[in-house]
Amino acid sequence: MCQFYTCLKNMWFLCEMSKFWAKNTRLNRPVSPHISIYKWSIPMMMSISHRGTGVALSSGISAFALAALVLPESYPYYLDLIHSMTFGPQFLAFSKFALAFPVAYHTFNGIRHLAWDLGKGFKIPEVYRSGYIVVALTVLTSIGLATM
Amino acid sequence: MKILISSHRSLAALVHPGNSSDLGLLVRIMAALVRISSVCYRGVRPLLFRASSLIRPLAVQKKDRDCPYFISAKIHATPSNYAGSGSKAASLHWTGERILSIALLGLAPVAYYYPGPAVDYSLAAALTLHGHWGLGQIVTDYVHGDFKIKMANAGLFLLSTVTFAGLCYFNYHDVGICKAVGLLWSK
Repeated sequence: MCQFYTCLKNMWFLCEMSKFWAKNTRLNRPVSPHISIYKWSIPMMMSISHRGTGVALSSGISAFALAALVLPESYPYYLDLIHSMTFGPQFLAFSKFALAFPVAYHTFNGIRHLAWDLGKGFKIPEVYRSGYIVVALTVLTSIGLATM
Repeated sequence: MKILISSHRSLAALVHPGNSSDLGLLVRIMAALVRISSVCYRGVRPLLFRASSLIRPLAVQKKDRDCPYFISAKIHATPSNYAGSGSKAASLHWTGERILSIALLGLAPVAYYYPGPAVDYSLAAALTLHGHWGLGQIVTDYVHGDFKIKMANAGLFLLSTVTFAGLCYFNYHDVGICKAVGLLWSK
């Protein structure tokens, strides 16, 4: 009986929510400036970068998977093809850095997120400190991986 | 004072016939004063009809018997059907997301030290699911409206399915994820 009541309540809330959004979209209400006027902070930038690198990496993996299904030749063939087209060792090192950077950033910031999920590190100085550590680790790891 | 106490006792007897303990006598006196003052302000009628405003001092009396200290009267009662009921799906999903993230973290060194088909397929599954759930959160954050949400989630499901299929195909017919990364980095 309790679960039925809660289910009805949830349905009512969802209904109200979609009614709100339907009206909101229909009236095309203007949105007050928010990200265009609010001063950007390091935590803000790192948070959206975490999401951005996640989307980028996910797109990359999906593109890779799609290519594997669609392209006729095997992976070593295309790798050699790309390798023959490159402009020298610096280009290779740079592209390794460009690949490693989002992976490293998303990984280290992900660990930071998991620490928050455990309830640790919410004080503002701690947030900034852990943020700087993540950025430092990302740069060092990416450089290290690029040289491998 | 005598009249006050006697009137208080009679009033107390009216609503609480069994109440004879001295515990919280002060509370009961105060309760009685509330009732008497309400008589003064609103007349005798509410007193006779046991209006709900009089139940408040009564609640104080009952509570006082349980815990011998002053408690302010409860005005609202939390509906008991809130507690514990309802689906745990969202909460379990959240926990699943964290566990998968930790599993993926652990998979990275394993992939480096023990490359092979087992790790390849585990990576394919973990990466795809982690990405699927992450993109799902983005859809929840930015997409609004019943139809759009359904469409976005359907598209996401299709994308994740194709991704997983492609990665498994790559693992089976081609060199596999671990070897692919190794080859890429050896150039």
